[in-house]
Parts: sequence; C-alpha cells; structure tokens
Amino acid sequence: MNKEIRKKIIDMVYKAGDGHIPSGLCIVEILNVLYRDILKYDPKNPKWEGRDYFILSKGHGSDGFYVILEKYGFLTQKDLDTFTKYDSKLGGLADRTKVPGVEAAGGSLGHGFPVSLGMSLGLRIQGKSNRVFVLIGDAECNEGAVWETVLLAAHHRLGRLYCIVDDNKSSSQILEMGSISEKFRAFGWNAYDVDGHNEEALLDVFKKLPNEAYGKPTAIIAHTIKGKGAKMLEGHGVWHSKAPNTEEYAQIMEQLED
Amino acid sequence: MRYMFEMKNQFARTMYEVGQVNPKLVVVVGDLCHWAMQPFAKACPGRYYNTGVTEAATIGLGAGLSAVGLIPVVHLIAPFMVERSFEFIKLDFSYNEFPGNLVSAGSSFDYSFLGATHHTYTDYATLKTLPKTQLIYPAAPQEFDLLFRQTYNNDFLTYFRLPQTEHGVSIDKNKIKVGTGIKIKDGEDITIVATGSQLKSAVESAETLKKMDYDPEIIYIHTLKPLDTKLITSSAEKTKKIITMEEHSIIGGLYADVLEAVKEIPGVKVSPIAIPADFLRGYGGYEDHCKALGLTAEGIVKKVKTDFRRKK
Repeated sequence: MNKEIRKKIIDMVYKAGDGHIPSGLCIVEILNVLYRDILKYDPKNPKWEGRDYFILSKGHGSDGFYVILEKYGFLTQKDLDTFTKYDSKLGGLADRTKVPGVEAAGGSLGHGFPVSLGMSLGLRIQGKSNRVFVLIGDAECNEGAVWETVLLAAHHRLGRLYCIVDDNKSSSQILEMGSISEKFRAFGWNAYDVDGHNEEALLDVFKKLPNEAYGKPTAIIAHTIKGKGAKMLEGHGVWHSKAPNTEEYAQIMEQLED
Repeated sequence: MRYMFEMKNQFARTMYEVGQVNPKLVVVVGDLCHWAMQPFAKACPGRYYNTGVTEAATIGLGAGLSAVGLIPVVHLIAPFMVERSFEFIKLDFSYNEFPGNLVSAGSSFDYSFLGATHHTYTDYATLKTLPKTQLIYPAAPQEFDLLFRQTYNNDFLTYFRLPQTEHGVSIDKNKIKVGTGIKIKDGEDITIVATGSQLKSAVESAETLKKMDYDPEIIYIHTLKPLDTKLITSSAEKTKKIITMEEHSIIGGLYADVLEAVKEIPGVKVSPIAIPADFLRGYGGYEDHCKALGLTAEGIVKKVKTDFRRKK
C-alpha cells in the first residue's frame, strides 16, 4: 500500500477543505502502476504525439490523480497546495484546458469513456499505435452511455482501448451490478479481474494486455476498497465528500501508519 | 417542395468531395443517410462509421476524434442529437474545447406525421447557450455545401440544421457567407426576417402585401449564430416594423435574438410567427403544420393586418 501517496492526498484535501478522499484512495495503486510502468508520456511535453492516453472518467478520484500527476512530473507541490481554490488549475473535477496531463473532463459520469472510444478510433484511423486507457467506476456502470460505448468498442474491434473499472462496490449500495467482467465479456470484450490494491497483480495484468490495432478491447476489473488505507475512511459513509478537521486529520494520518 | 433526398444527397456529396481533399474528415452517422454515404465510405476508407442508435456515446465518440486531431462530422436525427445528448455536446465538445461539426436532419416538425417524440423546436435555443458554437440553417443544398466548406475546419463547434424543405429562392452563391444575412428584397415600411424554409413564405407574401400598399424588406438568415445583427438593425431603423419567421420555438429563437438586437432602437415593434411553447400534437404533413402555425404567406399577411394595421 502506498502510504506516501495517500498521505499527500489527505494533506491536500485537508488544506483545501474540499475533496473526495475515498474515491482517490481506492485508485492509488492502479494509477501508480500505470504511470510508473505502463503509460508512455513526457511530463515536459504533455501533448507529445507518441503518448498513451489516460482519461479519468470517474472524475471524483481527482485528488488521487493530481497527486500521481505531481509524483510523475506534470504538476508541482505548489499546484497541489492550491487544490480547489478559486484561481487554482486544480478543481474538484479536472478541467483538461487547465491541467497538464488531463485529456478530457470526467466526473459527470459516463462521459470520459465514450470520449476515449473516439480517441482510440481516431488514433487507429491515423495509423497510430498509441494506447488509450480509461478509468471508470462500478457505479458509473449504471450509466447507459457506458454500455453504448462497450457495444461500439467491441463492434469496431478497438484492440488498443483499455477500460479499467474501479470496482469499489459503490453501486451495490444501491443497484447490484453482479459480475462486471461477465458483462463486458458478454459484449465481446476481454475482461480480467484483479486485486486493485496489489501492485504486482496489477502490473502482471497490465503487462500482458493485448496490443493490436484490431482485436477485442480489454476491461480490467480492479476490485478495490473505497477509502483504502485508513479504517475510518473505508466504506460508503459520510467520508465520500467530507474533508477532515484537525483532529480527524491526525487520526487518519495515524491510521495510515498502522 | 419536399426535397429530403436532395438534401441528403447533397450532404453525402459534400462529404465525398471534402473528404477526398481533407484526410482528417471523419463522418459518423446514427443510422441516417447510410446508403447515400457509401461513395464516401468507398473513397475515404476507414473514415465512415454508422453507430446505430447510440446517440449519447456517438457524440462523445465525435469529441474523442476531435481530441486526437481529426475533424468529426456527426450526423443524427435532431431531437436525439440535441435534446437527448445535450450534456454530451456541452461537456465532451464544448467544455473540453474540442471543435467539430454536428449535422442534424429531422428538426422542428419535419417528421410531422410521427408526432412530438420526433420533433425538436428548441435546438437553436439550446445550443446557442454554449460557448464557441456556430449555428447554421441552410435551407438549400447549395447553401449547405458552401457554408460547410467555409467553416468545417475552424475552432468552433458548428451545428448545421438541415431541413427537409427548401426555400426555393434563387440566391447568388457569392452572397452566401457564414455569419452574413442576405437582403433578398429592398423595402420601405416593414421588414420580414425569415430563417430556413420560411424564406419561401416571406417571398410569396410580398405580392399580396404590395396590394395592401406595403413594401416589405425581406432578410434571409442562414446563420443564426453569429447573427448578422447589423443587417437587421439597419432595416429596423428604416421600417420600425419587423415580422420574424421561423420553424423554431418562440422561446430562444430568431424572434428572441431579433428583439435583443433592436432593443436600443426607439419605436420598433417585432412580431413573431413561430412555434408556441407547447408540443405540436397534430400529425399530417409538413404543410399542415405550417398552415396551422401561420408559417405561410397567408400567415404573414394576417400578421400584418392584426399587428401592423395602419391607422386611417
């Protein structure tokens, strides 16, 4: 478990007084493995043509995303210190016109995924081999546009489109989704289940991803715990959009060390 | 004159020609115009997609094409493009600042016999609220061809509303420029500002109005945004009397924009012929709806008599 990344997320949200800590904490390992070992990018030139594309469709994980972007050179600590301030480049949901490394807006659920579909198709049309990764949430899978996208991507055999589902069981609080991987397979995708907090397992799956212009698109269902890292944050309660006070901040930091 | 196939063929022809010149042009249709697009599909392999009935995702897909440097042309039935998918247009294209082209067919009450599920009266009102959008309403095949070529590759998100019925008025092609209204006829004492197919009604009304001792000035608007307010206000200053004609809701359409344009000119009265803020629950054909709504030459004459009656 990445304690340092998590501490930074807590710190940023505590200073800002706003944020969605549990949504960010559950995607830390997914993002860390992607940015450390998998994605091609140049933080000095975020629009580099050879880059792989990453879209955070479940935009409420932005606090985790920003800390990762800082760790891998797109942002600075100074940027993180301005999180959600009026004139900050870093809002509660990322604005692609302001944040280097952000390809499209997310957070209004069901949007980033169809945009990533168009990106993947567009790259293939131009004969390019860039890969497109999109991270959606299991509750986001309630959205009809998600399944329209799943249908279209399979039909057009977008072999370099990869949809990671952060399955933190948010949906099952309200609507039981059943097996998400089976649903993707039924639409004609490859689908793999993986422990979303186990970096070795994630790396193993990501390294073996098919990579062909024409082929089945691939879903990676990452099973995670919402708020992973500090017991008091885990689960689906009040912490979804709550910033800690001073006392709670100290407790969270202590629990992260346990 | 019904010319659904002519406009469809023009859309396909324009895509075919522009697509061969510009390798970045990609056309995505939602099970619309599929057969007419086959020459494009053959001439521009890998750049034509039929996405069936997945309108919301299709808009997102179009934005994604734009994000990686292509020029998307998304062609859908108007209510499903604008009203069903509005948030996808708003966020995926506009908020992300990805340019592109949205081309609708079946706007207003074009699908008259199907009823209100297939109508949209507020597409212009809705889309004009988005930043960096252009709204173009070409009511002749030639106009679509010219206006598309002028604007498809710029930094805007451009909506083309293709009607089923052409206005049937011959216009010098050199006058057809994005953002520029066209004075069809000089006049002295009343201005008719018409958009889309209703230019036909405006032109037809002139003779009867002449017999009533009115000399109407007729202005044709094919670009609703940016609107040529200069042409409209200069006419308003002269005639002080305006009738607007549109196959669009009375809310947020040409009428509203003309009112806004002339608000500083003293003594100007603007009277609309438009679709009321209600569902049209009749069926029949296009002409039946036009007649019921007063979107005819007779409707203009009646409007002049009721709203602009001269004092004896």
